[in-house]
Amino acid sequence: MRSGLIISVVALIVLSAGRGAATAQTVMPPRTPDGKPNLQGIWQAVNTAAWDIQDHAARLGVPAGQGVVEGNEIPYQPSAAAKKRENFANRLTADPETMGYLPGVPRIMYMPFPFQILQTPTHVAMVFEYDRALRTIYTNGTPHPMGPINWWLGDSRGRWDGDTLVVDVVHFTDQTWLDRAGNFHSDALHLVEHYALIGPDHLRYEVTVEDPQVFTRPWKMSMLLYRRKEPDLRLLEYDPGQLLFEAQAERERVKAN
Amino acid sequence: MSEVSDVPGVRFGIAAALAVLIVIRVAAQEKPAEMVGGCPAEPLAFHACALQKARTFNPPRTPGGKPDLQGYWRSRLTQAFSVEGVPADEPLIHDPIMPWEAAPPEVIDPADRKIPYQPWAAAIGRRGVNFTQYVDPRTTCSTAGIPRLALQDANQILQPWGDQYVLWAFEDHHNQRVIAMDGRPPVGPAIKTWNGLARGRWEGNTLVIETTNLNGYNWIDDAGNFYTDAVRVTERLTLIDPDTIDFTATFEDPKAYTRPWTVAWALVRAKEPGFELLEEACREGERSLDRIRETTGMKFYFGEPWRGR
Repeated sequence: MRSGLIISVVALIVLSAGRGAATAQTVMPPRTPDGKPNLQGIWQAVNTAAWDIQDHAARLGVPAGQGVVEGNEIPYQPSAAAKKRENFANRLTADPETMGYLPGVPRIMYMPFPFQILQTPTHVAMVFEYDRALRTIYTNGTPHPMGPINWWLGDSRGRWDGDTLVVDVVHFTDQTWLDRAGNFHSDALHLVEHYALIGPDHLRYEVTVEDPQVFTRPWKMSMLLYRRKEPDLRLLEYDPGQLLFEAQAERERVKAN
Repeated sequence: MSEVSDVPGVRFGIAAALAVLIVIRVAAQEKPAEMVGGCPAEPLAFHACALQKARTFNPPRTPGGKPDLQGYWRSRLTQAFSVEGVPADEPLIHDPIMPWEAAPPEVIDPADRKIPYQPWAAAIGRRGVNFTQYVDPRTTCSTAGIPRLALQDANQILQPWGDQYVLWAFEDHHNQRVIAMDGRPPVGPAIKTWNGLARGRWEGNTLVIETTNLNGYNWIDDAGNFYTDAVRVTERLTLIDPDTIDFTATFEDPKAYTRPWTVAWALVRAKEPGFELLEEACREGERSLDRIRETTGMKFYFGEPWRGR
């Protein structure tokens, strides 16, 4: 009993030391000239959250994946849980992303496409290959504009909490999903995102999801974003709406001939 | 004092005659010439004047020492009906649905202010096949394209730390262009994009942007003027005072034109307090395209009139 306690204490000390070492690594991120962590670069999620943010087995065309939801459970209200099941059943046509619409936040952060972060003293700009989307995160101390506003990517205002970029996002539509599996939200969605470098090429992304119309309590997703390091890599374009129209135009051309 | 001016009746007569002369002079001028940045707004005159002003203007600098073009901008025009100009007697000015506005040409070179199309291409652009048979790609919530984006609504230039990139963001259909300033080589020509892939450099105080890898699926203006996927667009942005940019774009496309040609216009700083770009979700709210296509028989564009040439 007593020796067990000692071992536990020793283990705790060792664990704490390990944690200290990990913290020490994060003490020195690369910095911009104004002393803020330099998050600039091209990043990409390398997970399966765009298809399903929860643990899931492989489905046709969808890799199996370990989820990004902390604890794996999403605290839906009962009626919302039924809606989620309905969304899942109809996902191949009901997912707004299949219509070539902006995929919303946070989904755009883990679409399987690269995105680029650019920083100025007053802005953190996130530029996405997917749909040529742009998130402008104002870090100039300005508040959210007065609502109600329904924006597909919401309104993002950021601040630095130590070396972590904290972004508050509101003013959403109820028209975007969180993944292809039908996880959804209302226009009351409120996100708090945390971006922190945990090494030169790894960015930890955590997002707290709050929506009193859909969930019984706030819940959290957590994942890593990886730096794309290929020389001269740049963002190209994936314009889902135009690609859908192009396919439609080709069908019309074939039919006419 | 002359004797004549001492006679009240004569004095009044001279004053009245002068007044009449002034009225005639004012009436004879069509309008007072519109000015922008201390230069005439008419594109050719503006550019000539702007080149002079740029010689002496010392622009603000980024921490890295580059000219600082950052901020919110708008073109004076906000719409390109035709870069070859819209004459005052143009019937489309009275169109009940999409009225055009009379405007001078934005083309400043060649001297005739016309796009130097090859003959086959002239029949497609300039309110030809494109205008009469195809839906303006911008109407399908595609991008307005290069350089038309710099005419539509407001835009924002950001020069991020390190001067490796310039970000040009556009309110029009939430568009953006990342301009690589690091001297990188171009990507392979098989990669085609709507907004092109832009590489930039500084020539003195001028930001020079070379854009290639365009798919040619956009138009230059509402009149269906166009380029193909062989085009290279070179844009030049020069501050001529704290709030005015001299903007030009030169088009080189050996498939469609007989020689390079250039447009010019002014970009003016948007100075309203608290101004920000708003999210313009286009496709997400688009509800009329099917009806337009059904009632008019217009086709999707995707470069069909020139593809395969």
